[in-house]
Amino acid sequence: MEYKVEAHRIMSISLGKIYNSRVQRGGIKLHKNLLVSLVLRSARQVYLSDYYSGVCLNTQHVEAKEWELMDSNQEKPLTPAPEESLSPSTDCNQNPVVPEDPEVQHTSQAVEDSTDLHSVYSKHQAEEESSSEDSTTDVSLTSSPVTCESQCEAKGAEVSSSDCEADANPATVTEGNSQQPPKAHSCSNRKRTAEKTASNDSPVKRTKVTSSNSSEEEAEEMDTGNVSNLITIFGSSFSGLLTKESSEPEAETEDSDSGSGQICCDQMLKNLNPWSTAIVAF
Amino acid sequence: MCVCSLCVSAPRAAAGVGGGNDFQWCFSQVKGAIDEDVAEADIISTVEFNYSGELLATGDKGGRVVIFQREQESKNRPLSRGEYNVYSTFQSHEPEFDYLKSLEIEEKINKIRWLPQQNAAHFLLSTNDKTIKLWKISERDKRAEGYNLKDEDGRLRDPFRISTLRVPVLMPMDLMVEASPRRIFANAHTYHINSISVNSDHETYLSADDLRINLWHLEITDRSFNIVDIKPANMEELTEVITAAECHPHQCNVFVYSSSKGTIRLCDMRAAALCDRHSKFFEEPEDPSSRSFFSEIISSISDVKFSHSGRYMMTRDYLSVKVWDLNMENRPVETYQVHEYLRSKLCSLYENDCIFDKFECCWNGSDSAIMTGSYNNFFRMFDRNTRRDITLEASRENSKPRATLKPRKVCTGGKRKKDEISVDSLDFNKKILHTAWHPKENVIAVAATNNLYIFQDKMN
Repeated sequence: MEYKVEAHRIMSISLGKIYNSRVQRGGIKLHKNLLVSLVLRSARQVYLSDYYSGVCLNTQHVEAKEWELMDSNQEKPLTPAPEESLSPSTDCNQNPVVPEDPEVQHTSQAVEDSTDLHSVYSKHQAEEESSSEDSTTDVSLTSSPVTCESQCEAKGAEVSSSDCEADANPATVTEGNSQQPPKAHSCSNRKRTAEKTASNDSPVKRTKVTSSNSSEEEAEEMDTGNVSNLITIFGSSFSGLLTKESSEPEAETEDSDSGSGQICCDQMLKNLNPWSTAIVAF
Repeated sequence: MCVCSLCVSAPRAAAGVGGGNDFQWCFSQVKGAIDEDVAEADIISTVEFNYSGELLATGDKGGRVVIFQREQESKNRPLSRGEYNVYSTFQSHEPEFDYLKSLEIEEKINKIRWLPQQNAAHFLLSTNDKTIKLWKISERDKRAEGYNLKDEDGRLRDPFRISTLRVPVLMPMDLMVEASPRRIFANAHTYHINSISVNSDHETYLSADDLRINLWHLEITDRSFNIVDIKPANMEELTEVITAAECHPHQCNVFVYSSSKGTIRLCDMRAAALCDRHSKFFEEPEDPSSRSFFSEIISSISDVKFSHSGRYMMTRDYLSVKVWDLNMENRPVETYQVHEYLRSKLCSLYENDCIFDKFECCWNGSDSAIMTGSYNNFFRMFDRNTRRDITLEASRENSKPRATLKPRKVCTGGKRKKDEISVDSLDFNKKILHTAWHPKENVIAVAATNNLYIFQDKMN
């Protein structure tokens, strides 16, 4: 667990750096932000793998099977990958709105997200494979970075609206779990909810997912008061780095990733967004 | 065995001499304010000797360039031993504002590169993040007097008062050094320029930013050739950036560029107009046992320099300096650890941003020694032949004239010996990023924040 704490700390620091880089004189430094995002990705992987393996070990297997069934567009052989089951493409066109993100973040429903995260993650990954151009939805994406980010981050997939939508689905699933008591229980609940492919209420769900992060307190410090700014500032997630460089490790850590992505905190996700936004801005 | 003609083999070992053929480095001069409060604009951001070593240029964060000239050693002042004094100071770049992106463009001078001297004037290229300028530094020691149409103070004379015609005469005047911008190479870089390098043909030069490298002709400012472009179609797929680039010292068709992934690509401009495909690819396999969160950051190359011979090149990453043989791509021929004791502190260095510091490195004139900077105002020299290394410090305390520098040592653990400094006591705000070695003699210039230290090898 020490690794998890350390990884989370590094993620928070990285997010802070990316955020601060926007206000630095001379503009955003591409090189430094690239390196920071690499660290962020590494920390996230560790965080997710550590968290997931420690928390949802049992549900992981169950979920994996279920997700595999749902997986249709999956290009990669994701073990727990719940991939496209939620038909992301159709969802993509919807722009999730997450006005209550700030508040949601403060709620902590850490563990329950794990299973959903996983599904979301895999879904996200699937999304990534088949994601369409998301440029037009950048703005809308920013509005719900928190919810989308976890998935985006886990996957490193591009934050296309489709991705967000896909995530939203799992998120809605978790909503039902939000009232549940933590961890193991929520995991199983999530699994069930994830099976529902209703594409609704993605923003709501997302916020819950993101806020469920138990370690959110640290993240909260960072984005308290900045959430809305971050949301608007950050655009699509920096999926490129994640997908290209970690395609293999991602496959392994998918399970953990899905959980970690959301658990890690919206901040992290948001941070990924600013990076991509910064890049896109170039 | 060093065959360098400049090598001074002292008969005695003396005070831990090392790092380059028994050099004994002595303090010579220090330039800059002594003030503890350092203005950000005064922080030196680049140091460069010209081809003869007679001139030494520094650029700072405030966009200014200061050029020092070495005094000719004369019988009148035997103790001066070739001191560097201010020759010219000018404002090279001003802060600008990019209206389209709503970004401020820093005036910080990223690099200065001298052009080979072709006439009485000196030319140098200076660059900030976006714009490169060619400056002409010329001396004026004569002035024309006796104009017909204007007075000595410049006022126009009343034409009706002019009754005779005279020829202006050149009269001596106090030496005045003028710097004038002769060319301005602008609007060619979307990203931040990190390197410029003058080609051996003395007609062209290259400029590199994070994703592109452009080739310019020194006479033409309104266009440049893009010779390397690593920008991906989708920016979200970005995985590496260009960190440094340099032209080969003798082959005008060859250049190298380093990346943030720790790789170096050598390109031949004869092969294609766009050199996206490298001719040689230099990469050392990563040691999996040393992998950490920060492996990628510390492998990013911050500087690449060809040796004077053109046979080798040197790269600097965060913890080490590597010498590569251009004929061998799979690993460097030499690796020198600069401050390996920082490897366990990478997390703290990441937090305080020190891990992003871009250290430079340089060769001596004979390519037998290399030098690079570290923290706590330490700098390191490595002798390639004897494999000895030395750590020296640039500080005001060691600034007595011609005082020999005492080797420093960092205690990495266990009992700290006398005169050693522990890793935790290092001052990470005092960093030496920029150093330069005289092209022919054993004179080095070390930039420590806002001060420029000049050290010389003790002569016989």
